[in-house]
Amino acid sequence: MKRINLVAPIVIAALSTAAFAGTIHGKVSGVSGESVVYVEAVAGKTFPAPTAHVTIDQKGLMFMPHVTAVALGTTVEFLNSDSVAHNVFWPSISGNKKLGHNLGTWPQGQRKSFKFDDPGIVSLLCNVHPEMAAYVIVSPTPYFAVTDSSGNFKIDNVPDGAYTVTAWHEGAKNKSNPVKVAGDTSADFTLSK
Amino acid sequence: MMRKRLSLLFLAGFVALSLSPSAMAIPAFSRRYGTSCTTCHSDFPKLNDFGKAFKDAGFKFPKDDESFLKQPPTLLGAPAQAELWPHTVYPGSIPGQLPVGLRYNTYYQQIGANRNNFNQVLPAGTVGNFIPKSDFQPGYFSIFTAGSMGTGISWWVDDDISVAGANANGALGDGYLKFNDLSRFLKLPKDSLNLRAGQFELDLPVSQARTWNLSGWDIFSEQNVGIQNGLGPAQNVTNGSAMEDAANGVEFSGGHAYGGYHYSFAVFDQNTTGVNISPPNIGPQNAVAFNSDANFKDMYGRLAYRFNLEKDPVSRNDVQAAGTTGPRDHTYLTLGSFYFYGRTATPFSGVLADGVTPAVLTAREPFYRIGGDVNFNYRTLNVFGVYLAAHDRNELPVTAPGAAGITSFAPSSPVTFSGGFAEADYLALPWAMTIMRWDQVKSSADRINFIEYNPASPPGSSFFSPYSATRNRFTPGEQFLIHANIKTSIEYQIMPQQIVYNPATGAVITGPFRTNALIVGLEFLY
Repeated sequence: MKRINLVAPIVIAALSTAAFAGTIHGKVSGVSGESVVYVEAVAGKTFPAPTAHVTIDQKGLMFMPHVTAVALGTTVEFLNSDSVAHNVFWPSISGNKKLGHNLGTWPQGQRKSFKFDDPGIVSLLCNVHPEMAAYVIVSPTPYFAVTDSSGNFKIDNVPDGAYTVTAWHEGAKNKSNPVKVAGDTSADFTLSK
Repeated sequence: MMRKRLSLLFLAGFVALSLSPSAMAIPAFSRRYGTSCTTCHSDFPKLNDFGKAFKDAGFKFPKDDESFLKQPPTLLGAPAQAELWPHTVYPGSIPGQLPVGLRYNTYYQQIGANRNNFNQVLPAGTVGNFIPKSDFQPGYFSIFTAGSMGTGISWWVDDDISVAGANANGALGDGYLKFNDLSRFLKLPKDSLNLRAGQFELDLPVSQARTWNLSGWDIFSEQNVGIQNGLGPAQNVTNGSAMEDAANGVEFSGGHAYGGYHYSFAVFDQNTTGVNISPPNIGPQNAVAFNSDANFKDMYGRLAYRFNLEKDPVSRNDVQAAGTTGPRDHTYLTLGSFYFYGRTATPFSGVLADGVTPAVLTAREPFYRIGGDVNFNYRTLNVFGVYLAAHDRNELPVTAPGAAGITSFAPSSPVTFSGGFAEADYLALPWAMTIMRWDQVKSSADRINFIEYNPASPPGSSFFSPYSATRNRFTPGEQFLIHANIKTSIEYQIMPQQIVYNPATGAVITGPFRTNALIVGLEFLY
């Protein structure tokens, strides 16, 4: 009996955790191509910075991928795979010019990294190839997803609760909707430019 | 002579005649690589260091060109066909889409209030030339195409459709095929030997045909025409060659424009049409003159060395310097020199040594142009200058005692001119460049030729002259990129002082005055 009493709370706790981890799925419409959907900051709650690094490449005078979503505190490595010189800079983060930054120059095959500690939209640019552009969306929570090209998305492991969920697309106006997550939850967004 | 006249009319205020028609960048490359004009140009058509390397490489990216192509080339034979050569045509390629670019420009000019003072030399009641105070003028519509054929062969053809002339004066500009890096077949250092053939601008320290200024540099358009009147010593030189003229021939070159050595050597002619360009400037007037003696090819050579001044050796030797905020043009100092050697031919109707038998006698007058140049760049400030000295042998016709005409020629004092320019370009913003220029041409013949009114000239061609033998021009300017392919330019030309003389007495009618001009240009490429 004693043994049963010890195991039962663990099982119940595990089951209850699973029961409260929901999913947000849906579709972003009104725009074409990849969008990003993320859960806005949750009052009083912080999240540990991810330890895994994310890489964005510069190849063929293009940033790859064009859209990257990361959680707050993620370190992004910028790789130059081209035989020409590039740089990476962003004039602001979500319009805050104080958060603009220029990483300088580095040769082919080398990387420079940056830890994004401020949430928002980061417009990546190269100051010698003005046609190059990419976006890093720094989500304030670890709950985010990049849609497929049709706009479909799915965010897993979102604890049940009430959130503000934002959809972003290049050149479109952001849209934030309140979403009450209870298990498998649907949330659609229609964006316009 | 016509061109000489035009260059002097320029002084009088026909500014549009001197506007450079051939400034261009290549939108086809933007399409081909999916990149902005600013990848190669700082203020089109001025090349940045990467643009210079792109051009050096035969209009290709210096490394891994294929990885940057957004439009795959069309193969003219599979690359593996090369193994069958010489039993098959060697495989090449052409751009996947027709690499054509188009350019149009238009101008507005405003000329000084005393612009019509020249007419005071005309008899009362004579209608003279009218130079408007302000004037909108159409510019040039140009087509140009350039690219790589693969296997190290590149080409360039540009043509100003709406005007007549050549190169900096319109019409067909450069039209050549270039064999890049022939050195690889001879196991020489990379890019140490290239060959181009066709029509091309000489390898000038800075290109007149592709200048970014609204008006070209005066020294490159200067021709050497000896004194035509009795106010100076007799000079039998009518050399229509100008440094800006297009050359037809072949050119060997090597090195890089973005660092280290650069050389070129061209063998060419400039006029094999057989058409006389003017009457000679000394009697008898029954001769024809050619730009150059087609059977004696002209030669031009240039040698320059560019010192990139970055401390870091990797950055110093790379195509672009590694700046703290991104790649940029090197800080550099270029020192160069050039030498042009040619020979004019002026046939005269004369007689043989017997003094009676008619014959054609040709005065062959070797000439040379020699000069040096310096170019310094620090970040976005570029200062450069050119000095040139010209020298033409002067062969005067000699009539033997008792002969019925010219029997020979005898050398006399050479006909010379010299001068150059200095210019500072400051790219204050990536889209705004401030320019300060100073041009100088020192030619005693220029002054004396036009110090006296020539009654033989048709009415309306009133003569005038620079106030002194040295012709200076200061030209501040500003250029703005509206977009990477649209530019507006402003230039204020502070002209030399001029005088109008009485044709009969030589007395001064109008004292020194200026015909300064403001020019605004708008051009776009697509």
